[in-house]
Amino acid sequence: MISKRFVAKRLLLLVPVLFGVATLVFAILQLSPGNPARVIAGQRASEEFVRQIERELGLNDPIYVQYGRFLLDAAQFDFGNSYTIQRNTPVRQILRNKLPVTLELALYGQLIGILLGIPLGIISAVKQDTITDHLTRVGALSGISIPIFWSGPLVILVFAQFFGWLPTSGRIDAQRFSIEQVTGLITVDTFVQGVDATLSSGFAVSHFAPFFSAVEHMILPAATIGIYSMALISRMMRSSMLEVTRQDYIRTARAKGQGAKITLMKHGLRNALIPVITVIGIQFGSLLGGAVLTETVFGIAGIGTLLVQAIEVGDYPVVQGTVLVFAFLFTLVNLGVDVTYSALDPRIDQ
Amino acid sequence: MSTETDTGAEAGRRQARGVVERVRASPFLSDLLSNRLALVGLGIILAMIVIAVYARLFVDLEAISLTQFGTNPPQAAPSAEYPFGTDGQARDIFPRVLYGAWYAVLYGTITVGVSTIAGVGLGTLAAYFGDVTDNVVMRSMDVLLAFPSLLLALALVAIFPDGLGLWRAVAALTLVYTPRFARVIRGAALAVLEDEYVDATVALGAADPRVIVHHVLPNCLAPITVQSTLNFGLAIIDLAALSFLGFGAPTGTPSWGLMLSNGVEFGLLTGIWWWSFFPGLFLAITVLGFNLLGDGMRDALDPRMRDAID
Repeated sequence: MISKRFVAKRLLLLVPVLFGVATLVFAILQLSPGNPARVIAGQRASEEFVRQIERELGLNDPIYVQYGRFLLDAAQFDFGNSYTIQRNTPVRQILRNKLPVTLELALYGQLIGILLGIPLGIISAVKQDTITDHLTRVGALSGISIPIFWSGPLVILVFAQFFGWLPTSGRIDAQRFSIEQVTGLITVDTFVQGVDATLSSGFAVSHFAPFFSAVEHMILPAATIGIYSMALISRMMRSSMLEVTRQDYIRTARAKGQGAKITLMKHGLRNALIPVITVIGIQFGSLLGGAVLTETVFGIAGIGTLLVQAIEVGDYPVVQGTVLVFAFLFTLVNLGVDVTYSALDPRIDQ
Repeated sequence: MSTETDTGAEAGRRQARGVVERVRASPFLSDLLSNRLALVGLGIILAMIVIAVYARLFVDLEAISLTQFGTNPPQAAPSAEYPFGTDGQARDIFPRVLYGAWYAVLYGTITVGVSTIAGVGLGTLAAYFGDVTDNVVMRSMDVLLAFPSLLLALALVAIFPDGLGLWRAVAALTLVYTPRFARVIRGAALAVLEDEYVDATVALGAADPRVIVHHVLPNCLAPITVQSTLNFGLAIIDLAALSFLGFGAPTGTPSWGLMLSNGVEFGLLTGIWWWSFFPGLFLAITVLGFNLLGDGMRDALDPRMRDAID
C-alpha cells in the first residue's frame, strides 16, 4: 500500500528542491556573459534600440525584482518568449511541441532496455560464474562504457550506411509524408492518421506507410539508447537476483518442496525486481539528459537539440525553460521511483 | 661488495614480504587482486597513462593541431603509413588519438580530483556536525542532484567565457560531480561514526579535527577510492560529450570528443568512418578500464560501505 502521508511528505520536500533549482537556473543565466537585449536586437542594431528592448524586458530593474518575477512566472510554467530560435513564440509552446519527441524516444529506448536487460540479468544470475555469466557481465560493462555519441554513429555506419536497411536521421520520410502533430508522439500520430492512398504519387501505398516510416526512423536511436539502459538494468538485475536467492525465504520455499524454477520466479524474481525498478527510474531521468546527445547524433529535433541550439545563440528564455522542465521531470521521476519502491517493499522506512 | 648487495636484496625481499602481508591482511586489496576483470581494467588504465605521457612528451601538439594539406593526402583510409587514416584537414589521425589520451587523463584527473576533495570536505562536515550543517550542505547538494548531469553541465558551461576552452568543461563538471562524492562520503562517514572506537577517541578528549583526520577519513578511504574510480569513467565521457556538443575543446584540439564530433559531422555520411571510429574506440576502452576496476573495487568493498555507493 502507498501511504498517503509518505507521498504528502515527499511532495512537500519537493518544494524547497524545486525552489533551489529555479534559483540556480536564475543565477546561472544572470552570470552568463552577453546582453539578452543585444541578442534580440541583433549585432547591427543601434544602442538606442537595445536600450528600448532592455526597458521592455525589465532588464534594468533591480535584481530582486527580476528574481521575484522569474519565480512567479516559473511557478506558472511561463518562461517568456523565445528571443531568436522561434522569435516571439512562447517558450511554453515550443517545449510543448518538442517535449513529446524526446519523451517518445526515451520511452522506446527504455522499453528495449527493459525487455532485454531483465532476462539477461536473470540468466546471468542463474548461471552464475559460467561462461554465459562472464560474457553477459563484460557485455554489460562494455555497454555502459561506450558513449552514445560513439555507438550511435557506429549503428548508423553499419545499418544505415553499409547495409542500407534503415534511415540515418530524422523522424519520418518528410518528403513523402506530412503528418499533423496531435499528440506529438510520431508513432501514435502516424498510426492514427495514416495516409490517403491517392496522394502518394500514383503508387499504391498502405494506409500505414507513414507509421512504418516513423518506426523505421525510431529503430536506430531507440536501440542506441536501449543498449545503454539494457547494460545498466541487466547488471542490477543480476546482483539483485543473487542477493535475493541467498535469503531465508527462498530456502524455506525450497525446503517445503517447491521446485527450483518456481521458487526462483515466484519468490525470487518478485523481490529482486524492486531495486531494478529504482534503476529503471533513475535511468529514465538520465536518459532525458542523454537525449541531448542522441538527438544530436540522429538529427532529431527534440528538446535536447533545442537546448544546445539555445545555448549557442544565447536564447535565454528557451535555456531557462528547457533546463527547468528537465529538472522538474527528473525530480518527478525520482519521486515516482521512491513511491513505487515503498509500495513494493513495505519494509522501506516511511 | 657482494654482502652489501645481498643485504640490499634481503631488505628488498623483506619489504616485498611486508607488502604481501599487508595485502593479505586487507580483505579489500586481496579480494581486488583476485578479481581478474579488475586487473584487466587496471592494465587498460596503466596502458592509457603510458600512452598519454608518451604523447605529451614526444608528439608535437602544434603540428597535429594544424591542417596538413600538402604533406598528407586528405581523408586517406587507414594504411601502413597512416594507421588510423587521415581526416578532412589531411591530419594524421593516429598521433591525434594518442594525444587525446593525454587530455582525457589530465582533465579527467583534475575533474575527479577536485570534486573528490570538495565532496570529501562537504560530506565529512555534514556527517560529523549533523543538524544545521548537515541540512544546509545536503539540501544544496540535492538541488544540484535534481538536474540530469550532462544538462546541468551544459547550463553551467554557458557561464564561463569561451576562451577557457576545455577548462570551462572541467569547471562545470566539477560542480556537477561534487554532490555525488559528498553524498557517498557522508554515508560512509556516518557508518564510521557509529563505531565504538570513535566514541572512545572522543571520550579520551580528542578534538574534532583529530577525530576527522585520524579516524573518520582513513576509514572512508576505500569507498572514496571506489567512487572516484567509477566516476572517472563517467567524467571522461562527459568531458568528451561537452566537446562533442561544441562546448569544450576549441577547434583543432586533438581531444577525443572533438574528433568524434568532426568525424560524425563530416565523415559519417561520406564514408570516412575512421575519422570518428578510432577516437571513439580509445574513449570507450579507457572508460571500460575504469568501469572494470571500479566494479571490482566495489565488489571487494566492505558491504556496510557498499550501500553508500550507488
